[in-house]
Amino acid sequence: MIEVRELSKHYGERLAINALNFSVKKGEVVGFLGPNGAGKSTTMKIITGYMAPSSGSVTVAGFDVFEDPIEVKRRIGYLPETPPVYHDMYVGDYLRFVANLKGCDRTRLTGLVNSALEKTGLQDVRGRLIGNLSKGFKQRVGLAQALVSDPEILILDEPTVGLDPKQVAEMRQLIRTLKGQHTIVLSTHILPEVQASCDKVIIINSGKIVAENSLEGLSKQMSSGGGHSISVRVRRNQEVIVRGLSSVPGVRATTNMGNFIEVQTDGDETTVERVAGYVVQQGAGLLELRVQALALEDIFIKLTSTETAH
Amino acid sequence: MRAIFTIAWKDLKALLTNPLFYVIGGMCTVLWSYTYMRSLLEFAERSRMFAQPGMDSGPNIQNTVIMAHISLTNLLFIFVLPALTMRLLAEEKRMRTYDLLLTSPITATQIAVGKFFAGWGAAVALAGISLLYPLATRLVVSYPMGPLFSAYLGMILVAGAYVAVGLFASALTESIMLSVVLGLIFNILLWFISQGAGEGHFYTPVVEYLSLGQHFVGFIMGAVKLNSTVFLLSLITLFVFLTQRVVESSRWR
Ligand SMILES: Nc1ncnc2c1ncn2[C@@H]1O[C@H](COP(=O)(O)OP(=O)(O)O)[C@@H](O)[C@H]1O
Ligand SMILES: [Mg+2]
Repeated sequence: MIEVRELSKHYGERLAINALNFSVKKGEVVGFLGPNGAGKSTTMKIITGYMAPSSGSVTVAGFDVFEDPIEVKRRIGYLPETPPVYHDMYVGDYLRFVANLKGCDRTRLTGLVNSALEKTGLQDVRGRLIGNLSKGFKQRVGLAQALVSDPEILILDEPTVGLDPKQVAEMRQLIRTLKGQHTIVLSTHILPEVQASCDKVIIINSGKIVAENSLEGLSKQMSSGGGHSISVRVRRNQEVIVRGLSSVPGVRATTNMGNFIEVQTDGDETTVERVAGYVVQQGAGLLELRVQALALEDIFIKLTSTETAH
Repeated sequence: MRAIFTIAWKDLKALLTNPLFYVIGGMCTVLWSYTYMRSLLEFAERSRMFAQPGMDSGPNIQNTVIMAHISLTNLLFIFVLPALTMRLLAEEKRMRTYDLLLTSPITATQIAVGKFFAGWGAAVALAGISLLYPLATRLVVSYPMGPLFSAYLGMILVAGAYVAVGLFASALTESIMLSVVLGLIFNILLWFISQGAGEGHFYTPVVEYLSLGQHFVGFIMGAVKLNSTVFLLSLITLFVFLTQRVVESSRWR
């Protein structure tokens, strides 16, 4: 659906994104994850045809963004970082205006506006001035604006930024309900956002892609070779078990964490088996044994901090 | 066509419902009413003098009262129209709604033309208010309508030029203040360019042709000249085109 090839953008001397390559398939929900200033907004602005890249190409549904910008823009609903709403317009009028701009079929306008209002839960404020709405509601109007033409692709730039926790939860719920109806690319600098909504994640840092994978794939990719950590909880003889476990083959280190024992292993499954067997054999009263892959949070920090180191 | 209409309609509504329009309209109305009443009274006074036996023809209401009204309106427009057009693009940029326009399936030309028509519509609404004075006068004094309409045709075209210039100024900046100041400066330059024409230089006719005032006078005198109409329409087209270039260029930054 979206093909990005060797995409670069300079702002004057500053290189904002550097030779990005990725593709988004139809129906996917892709999270574009990276710290502030990584180049997420820049990439999205280029995909939507808002601005031209310095080099590289983007095709959307087979149309080149620079040769057929109109065809591309017809297929995209875009929520920029700041919702592009007119404070002196009424919610309903505004959505109708956007649907007209997007060139929607005139006979369907009312239906489209109603359905966008309904999807975003804005029916009750359709007659209110946008300028008088709260930030969360303005953001929803921004999302309704992106949705109103029922586009194939939704591009949402940090849709939850600046909202309070309740509004964040609502916005995420809203995005989940859109899954399956649109191909969605959303950017964020916070991880739970991706975990809450996305199938696939592209991690970008300092203008380069540092990882691109499904959520589980990414965890696997990062933990392979890196080993697992196992947390073990026992009823009795914790001290003895800590000492004993360190001599089990495959175990690299053990730490007594008080409530539980943290065991670093080589990542092999037979090691897990041996650890479990040892604890049971000692009759220490095994309460819990959990294998932890590297959490996404750690991956994110690892990937983005190593890159910025130079 | 539809995109132009969509933008023009939205912006015209925004302009006409903005309190600023009523402040401007109100101020103009106060000024018009005051000066119009004064020149009417003056005219009545002088007519009485001329009505003495032995005098042949009295002053003509057209050349005194109405022409003064039209010149005043034009002068007001130079200052007032940039204040109406200042928001057209600068505000879109400031509020980031520009992003919506630039990512919608419409061209920069449609944006520029739609915005121009919105501004022009608001200017025509103001001109319409000023037309009420001469029309009301006709209820009591009869005078030929032809020159009045040619003068208003001219005024609408000249107002179109001010609007196009103001729109261009608005395209250049995010700041509404700067936008209005730029528009004012451009308008004044256009109006007074003929001052630099001098006399007898090889460029004198060219500069005179480029002067807005020179063409407007023709319309006021009751002549709808083709070359003046063409000049004003080209001026409008030029500035709408320049606006289009600025909008288009924002993609390349
Ligand atoms: N209009 C601009 N002019 C100059 N530099 C910019 C501009 N927009 C963004 N940048 C720079 O480009 C880099 C990427 O920015 P951006 O794409 O906004 O990142 P993100 O959305 O991931 O926070 C940043 O270093 C930022 O400072
Ligand atoms: Mg950003």
